Amino acid sequence: MSAAGAILGARSVSKSFFGNPVLRDVSIALLPGRIHALLGENGAGKSTLINLLSGTLAPDAGTLEIDGDRIAALAPRDARRLGIAVVQQELSLAPHLSIAENIGLGAAPRRWGMIDYRGLAARVAALCTGVGLTEPPELPVGRLPLGRRQLVEIAKALFRRPRVLILDEPTSSLAAPDVAMLTALVRRLRDQGVAILYISHRLNEILDFCEHVTVLKDGAVTADRPLAGLDPLGLVRLMVGRDPQDLFPPYRAQATAETVLQTNGFRSGTASGIDLTLHRGEILGLGGLAGQGQEEFLLGLAGAAPARAAQFRMTTGAKPRTAPFAGVAEANAAGLAYVPADRKREGLLQPHSIRLNLLLPGFAAHPVQRRRRAAEAATSAELAGRFTIRGDLRRPVQALSGGNQQKVALAKWLPLAPSILLLNDPTRGVDVETKREIYLALRAMAAEGKAVLLLSSDTPELVHLCDRVMVFHDGRVAALLPHGAATEEAIVAAALGLAAPAAASVPA
Amino acid sequence: MRAFALPMALRGFGRSLVAYGVVALLWIVASALIEGFGVFAHLRYIVELAAIIGLVGVGQTLAVIGGGIDLSVSAVITVAAIVLPMLSFAGDATGLGAIALTLLVAAAIGAVNGLGIGYLGLPPLIMTLAMATILQGLLVLIAGGSAVSVDNPALNWLGNTHVLGISATILLWAIVAAATLFWLHGTRAGALIYAIGTNPLTSLLSGVRVARVTLGLYVASGLCSGVAGLLLLAMNGQGYVGIGDPYLLSSIAAVVLGGTSILGGAGSYVGTIAGAVLLVTMTALITVVNASEGWRQVILGCLILGLLPLSGRDQSR
Amino acid sequence: MSGTVRRRLYWAIQWRRNEGLGALGIVLLAAAVLYAVLFPGIFGAGALNKFVQGWFPTALVAAAETIVMLTGGIDLAVGPMVSLGSVVAASTMQSPLGTAGGVLATLALGIGVGSFVGWVVAVARYPAIIVTLAMSFVIRGVALLILPRPGGFVPHGLSDLLAGNRPVTALLLVLLVLAWKLYQATPLGLGLVAAGDNAEGAYRSGVGVTASRISAYAASGMLQALAGLYVAAQTGSGDPLIGEPLTLAAIAAAVLGGVSFLGGQGTLRGALAGSLLMSILINVMFFLRLPLVAQYVVQGAIIVVTVALPRLRAAARRPV
Repeated sequence: MSAAGAILGARSVSKSFFGNPVLRDVSIALLPGRIHALLGENGAGKSTLINLLSGTLAPDAGTLEIDGDRIAALAPRDARRLGIAVVQQELSLAPHLSIAENIGLGAAPRRWGMIDYRGLAARVAALCTGVGLTEPPELPVGRLPLGRRQLVEIAKALFRRPRVLILDEPTSSLAAPDVAMLTALVRRLRDQGVAILYISHRLNEILDFCEHVTVLKDGAVTADRPLAGLDPLGLVRLMVGRDPQDLFPPYRAQATAETVLQTNGFRSGTASGIDLTLHRGEILGLGGLAGQGQEEFLLGLAGAAPARAAQFRMTTGAKPRTAPFAGVAEANAAGLAYVPADRKREGLLQPHSIRLNLLLPGFAAHPVQRRRRAAEAATSAELAGRFTIRGDLRRPVQALSGGNQQKVALAKWLPLAPSILLLNDPTRGVDVETKREIYLALRAMAAEGKAVLLLSSDTPELVHLCDRVMVFHDGRVAALLPHGAATEEAIVAAALGLAAPAAASVPA
Repeated sequence: MRAFALPMALRGFGRSLVAYGVVALLWIVASALIEGFGVFAHLRYIVELAAIIGLVGVGQTLAVIGGGIDLSVSAVITVAAIVLPMLSFAGDATGLGAIALTLLVAAAIGAVNGLGIGYLGLPPLIMTLAMATILQGLLVLIAGGSAVSVDNPALNWLGNTHVLGISATILLWAIVAAATLFWLHGTRAGALIYAIGTNPLTSLLSGVRVARVTLGLYVASGLCSGVAGLLLLAMNGQGYVGIGDPYLLSSIAAVVLGGTSILGGAGSYVGTIAGAVLLVTMTALITVVNASEGWRQVILGCLILGLLPLSGRDQSR
Repeated sequence: MSGTVRRRLYWAIQWRRNEGLGALGIVLLAAAVLYAVLFPGIFGAGALNKFVQGWFPTALVAAAETIVMLTGGIDLAVGPMVSLGSVVAASTMQSPLGTAGGVLATLALGIGVGSFVGWVVAVARYPAIIVTLAMSFVIRGVALLILPRPGGFVPHGLSDLLAGNRPVTALLLVLLVLAWKLYQATPLGLGLVAAGDNAEGAYRSGVGVTASRISAYAASGMLQALAGLYVAAQTGSGDPLIGEPLTLAAIAAAVLGGVSFLGGQGTLRGALAGSLLMSILINVMFFLRLPLVAQYVVQGAIIVVTVALPRLRAAARRPV
């Protein structure tokens, strides 16, 4: 695994969190002038590896190698000094400071001990042009949309003229023209001899301009080889370890004709003019690039964000509901449950026990009741059994792996017997086995007669699980594809705003 | 790494044991070294004094576990002590009517706090601080600088009666304490307080009516501070502006000394009980030793600093 | 890129940071006009000087609290620290240290205590609210131990210099603002705001988050001690409890000036404007013959309204 001439590398590093191993005996070598792809499912350990390579975290075992020298650990300051720059998904920008100050943070030119604003302005201007930022440099970064902020983060990494550049899904929030600009930029850097580590889920991007690939699966390296001779299917096989077909349960059309939710002209956040008809037993997918309004639509339905609709009808309870919900508690009472995307900050109470997390929605729905510890233990044990969550339920939920945490985030809603389930990217950061379990659980719920609205950034999920797929673009529904027509090409094309290859739209 | 098997509330119990331990240690040592310290009447007196802090500490504990803080408790105490005589009316033979009205006022103040914090989203520090400021100003405008004597039959009874050797004051505290512990640990609503103190967003998305729970917390705080004010009035015989001032910092100190984390989401009132007794014990010791107010303040501050490792670190950077 | 544009970056950034202060500026102007109408004599040099002298301690503590809040922390021990400053100043000037030595000792005390608090918050990572609460007890106790009752001695020379007829106070204020702007233009100063804005991000960017925080608390402590020294010079003696109301005033002024508890947001000039507004209002209420404690009510109301207003506006403006 060691390659001569590597600027930065890791040798047999391991890392665990709360007793969960996230990286096991991983080695990787980054050579100058090479675009090195890092592939792996969500939760495979990519972000942790990047944190180790950039000094944000220290390995529990193993060493890092810089220019051939072995060191045990790295501090971010040293990493910067050595020319290692990272662009992570979690931005390191200060929202109230200007673009220029953010780009130069920690590395601005100095004069007499103070920041040289003139020098800063000059260098920032050149960088912004190269990266495609046209906004005035004195603008506070917090005013920019996520995609533009990502460009600022990239400019910030380039400001230090790095020798190693690590990019963690840099194109996830970018529009197509920005992606092209970024690709050209990365190629230029490669030609200048920079070592580049590129993480992306967009297999076509990777095959397009990366030269070498390391694949992580469940914390271990399963492949480390040049990209020559690989096609998308081959890559997926390396990532998943089996043919993608095995991952998903066989598709069955279980949707009934009975409408359970119907709305026209639904508006929430950036999503507007959305028409939706949801049937009992149906799994409806929401797709599209990040930030196209599908998440705001889901939040509006869930009652977590203000929403309006020209027409709204939900018939799950005794009385039909004719207006969008003003609050989550209201929505829950009417039989609607929402599972957020961020299980750390939104889905679960991390320091509290698994048991309490499982019982929380029940408590919230009927708060004026005595605690009955025995009954609670039984209920939580039953839920845990149904979703195979093992171990002592009194442990804090943060002791569980990402996949198991996601199961808790999902299981907790079942005691409320919701008729409609809204899921926001439920398999993000989840290992393969748990994904399969979640898919089976979703199929089972649909079979029981629940309606499921599944927002997913994972296109194969939309292809294989859903009865219909609504693809969002620019706040509106670009295409509504039935199961057979919802191929990966069709979904991606609609997501990019292109006309669907085959006429596949059906009325809502 | 060992996984903790204790629920969050119980971990608070563990920390409160330290406070109980320190109290026990102080009592034993002081009884041995100081004449008359360990006499039942004296220890009972300490607990009576601690009752005031303990009652104020109910509201403070609830507010802190819920992720906030209540800086208006001292003002509410003073309001209760000053307003009671004004609310006394003819035909109220037992004096309970005036008491009920006073407690209503106290609860209403708490409700305003709760509405601002829960429904308007104002930071608890700001809302309760502003409330305290406004109340202090209003109080001086209303009552001026003079002390107000009171003659309320129910209060007189409360201040002077002993049942089986235990003062009515302590019994009152015991009842309120039991109710608080039942609320926190015996009801679902109590678990919801821990939830919103840990992560209000997750709680909201899990269907918790966060604003409502918050409102309930601060109403309870106002109510308990009102009770504390009335008790203080009963023990002193008169109320004056500023009577509640020492109790703000004392209530926060009692909560923290009892092992409840200032960050919220953990701990229990069990610890606050010990914290209150600890505070009064220390004051008593310092008085006996004839140390000045300055020493009392320094020791109190050092004690809180010293017990910090128990009360939870800020894990974020 | 042209030279003019390069030069303009710094000023363009400053202009942007002023954007939130519009409303405060208008209210401040209105209050100033009201004051001038009620007391036309304010425009005389002597009266203006006296006003600034009355304002100075509040301005200092507002600045001190802002610096700490910008890092995402808070300081509840401001009042007691001011008292301690006055006590130490009044106690050391008669000693062999003399006037100059006493001044230095007071400022050094502020820096020392501030550094300690900063260390506990930044390195040991305990929440600032409880650390400074505990420190408020300790500091108050020490002040009471040194001077149980108001007393001590401040030489007339110093009193005349600081609280006399010369506009020394105004000069000190200008120096304060200049020093702060200079500090903000250094990497450490900018890092301070960045650390309060996004601590994790600042750390990853190589900002010395710990050093920034400790220096913030140290600077804050020095300003508080300076305020205590000034108050001692004004009154001619030290008083262990004189600073008590200043904690609330400092927080109120900072909040008025747009400083957020979350850190990274707000400006020093905003807090100074807030403290100025409060000083003017206190004087106006005095002239309107309102009882002194009406200022408490107004202060509290101002805080609530200032914080609640943007939220109410945001709620009304919700894009549905």
